[in-house]
Amino acid sequence: MSQTFKGGVHPNYMKAPEIPVTVITPPAQVVIPVTQHIGAPATPLVKKGDTVTMGQKIGENPAPVSAPIHSPVSGKVVAVEPRPHPFGDMIMAIVIENDYQDTPCKDLAPLSEKELKDPDAILERIREAGVVGMGGAMFPTAFKIRGGIGKVDKLIINGAECEPYLNGDHLTMLNYPEQLLKGIELVRIASGVDKAYYGIEVNKQDAIDKLNSLHPEKYGIEIVPEAVKYPQGGEKMQVKAVTGREVKPGGLPSGVGANVVSTRTCYAIYQACYEGKPVIERIVSVGGSALKAPVNALTRVGTPLGYLAEQCGGFVKTPRKIVLGGPMMGICATDFAAPTVKGISGVLFFTEEEDRHVDNPTCIRCGKCIEVCPMNLEPVFMYMYYSKGDYANLEKYHVNDCFECGSCAFNCPARMPLTHAFKTAKLMLQAKAAAEKAKEAK
Amino acid sequence: MNEKNERIILDVAFQPQVRTERDTRSLMLDVIIALLPVLAVGVWQFGTHPLLVVACSVAACVFFEWGYRRLLGKEQSIGDLSAVVTGLLLGLSMPSTAPAWIPVVGAFFAIVVVKQLYGGIGKNFLNPALAGRAFLLSSYSLAMSNWAVPNSLHGTVDGVTMATPLSYLYGDTALPKYFSFQSLFLGNTPGCVGEVSTLILVAACIYLIGRKVISWRIPVSFVGTVFVLTLIFGRNGDHFAFALNNVLSGALLLVAVFMATDYSTSPVTKGGQLLYGFGCGAITVLIRYFGGFPEGTTYAVLIMNLCTWAIDKGFHRRQFGVSKEDIAREKAQKKAAKEAAK
Repeated sequence: MSQTFKGGVHPNYMKAPEIPVTVITPPAQVVIPVTQHIGAPATPLVKKGDTVTMGQKIGENPAPVSAPIHSPVSGKVVAVEPRPHPFGDMIMAIVIENDYQDTPCKDLAPLSEKELKDPDAILERIREAGVVGMGGAMFPTAFKIRGGIGKVDKLIINGAECEPYLNGDHLTMLNYPEQLLKGIELVRIASGVDKAYYGIEVNKQDAIDKLNSLHPEKYGIEIVPEAVKYPQGGEKMQVKAVTGREVKPGGLPSGVGANVVSTRTCYAIYQACYEGKPVIERIVSVGGSALKAPVNALTRVGTPLGYLAEQCGGFVKTPRKIVLGGPMMGICATDFAAPTVKGISGVLFFTEEEDRHVDNPTCIRCGKCIEVCPMNLEPVFMYMYYSKGDYANLEKYHVNDCFECGSCAFNCPARMPLTHAFKTAKLMLQAKAAAEKAKEAK
Repeated sequence: MNEKNERIILDVAFQPQVRTERDTRSLMLDVIIALLPVLAVGVWQFGTHPLLVVACSVAACVFFEWGYRRLLGKEQSIGDLSAVVTGLLLGLSMPSTAPAWIPVVGAFFAIVVVKQLYGGIGKNFLNPALAGRAFLLSSYSLAMSNWAVPNSLHGTVDGVTMATPLSYLYGDTALPKYFSFQSLFLGNTPGCVGEVSTLILVAACIYLIGRKVISWRIPVSFVGTVFVLTLIFGRNGDHFAFALNNVLSGALLLVAVFMATDYSTSPVTKGGQLLYGFGCGAITVLIRYFGGFPEGTTYAVLIMNLCTWAIDKGFHRRQFGVSKEDIAREKAQKKAAKEAAK
């Protein structure tokens, strides 16, 4: 029996895990933004003209919520200047000219047998290797695990990969099952718990079988098969499915004794601890109707999106949108020159084909948004209050609980921009609260 | 490398970047598909005249919607097919003998007054087809209650017109033999064109639930309430037979499946839908027992339409992460704080 949550939708999955991983040749120039995580931006450690090796630390910040950045190639720093960031805006970035030697950096040695059992050593390494939530949240993993020590009794590894198009987690499970289990074991040791629960959607039965054949119990891991439903991979939904607990409004999973770490993050932790390799590459699922065929691309961090598309066979149709991550929660990039960053699990080049935009949508009050909301919200009424600018009722209807999974808008037959509205409403409420606070301070 | 790409103008949008295929039009198309067999039974029982009535009704509904929006310079909306659904339902809730101009009058009231004056689809608070029918019932009551003998009862019943089973159930005479459960279930009964065959209406209901156009809550709670109430307050001795006859006859199923479930005029919350269905059923029974009309579904649903917004407000969903115990604790704390303040 597979576990799950209430609500959710079944998008057209468009997955292609059968396509083998293509190694993308690194570009002539990589662009490494100093913000590839939530928290304080890294301060560049190199300047124009410096020579760097592959895996060398090129930026860091001592703040607790931060992560260092590393050079994904060896070569020469040609610029340290603001460059287009994939999530918009111009952000300070280190531009490195690739010498195609991939001269490795020896700064991070594999951890010793003893260190591999020591939570502090593991956490230190997780931070040093620049590991962040690679499912897309990009929250510094070491800080997250540290924050849960003592509070967390249920460690959950997120293997749902419920977003359409994305295959990176599935392929990691299939290609590196043992390494993955070892990585999860490290997270478990660092978290100070005896058991980790690995929630995997049953559309990856081959991966579940493979992992189970390697005796996950040896590593203190239990595989939890989960129903195939979006957003099963949402943090709160994972906690609900595995433990039955509900994260408190505005709270973190650790508030109910749970922590959720993604598959790809665990693999990155394995690489950091066993191989001494920082986060400089990942599988990026490249797809969308502008491309001829989807590609599962092993891509260095800092690869410009336009170059990535070229390496994946180029466009057969003019793209209208570049979506970073999955299509349900992914946001749009506006610049082909913007690079991939650590948290980008997919790059989708969409044309009009994927778009079902309607110019002046009219709500027909069918209530299909209510059925699918995993957070028990009532989008039909929230949208009404949003249109009226009724803040009081928006709060009363818990708009701040919305984590923008997009299920309501996906399921809306009238094509109302529901998630858009709630995202905006949350920002408006924040701005209002900030304004009130400023007024009080005066 | 980016020379070519730089000329591409990229769209941006908040998530989600993909949408379900299901749109308003396809939902309405499913309702139309479900209504076609209902119309077919009407034609089989009452000949081809109902076809003309329904065609006039549909044409009038579409024309009034198109004309109104054109006259006021609004964006056209007939493509969503909701006007076709209204037209079909209005046509199907006419007696087979109704002259073809009658639904045209009803369509004007339904589409222009009830639907468009309030802003069109999703904004009206009364079901257009039912409001149109109610308008016709009070304006042309004779033409609206002239029940032809269905083809299957020719030979069994003399004459051209006959009384409906409901008028026997709530009258002084016993139900004639030819109104057996089986014939009521199959549709060998007089009545509105679309209401006669319970079998086909149940099938249509299952289709709509299966296609996720409607949920089971409103039809089941509506029909269930009528059944249970007539079972408890039964007449004519056999309570079970009385209750079953109540469910099988009249427009109950047509209204419960197609009209009470109308999106814009029924609650969207789960509990709200059950309460709404219960309300529709209870008022139907009240009208059947004590009202001036033998059939009460039309007015029952219209009355409950008016309560929809209030009902939805009453069924606010539990906030995720806040259990019933949390709410109780918070209440207790507030109470304690109040007492402490005293």
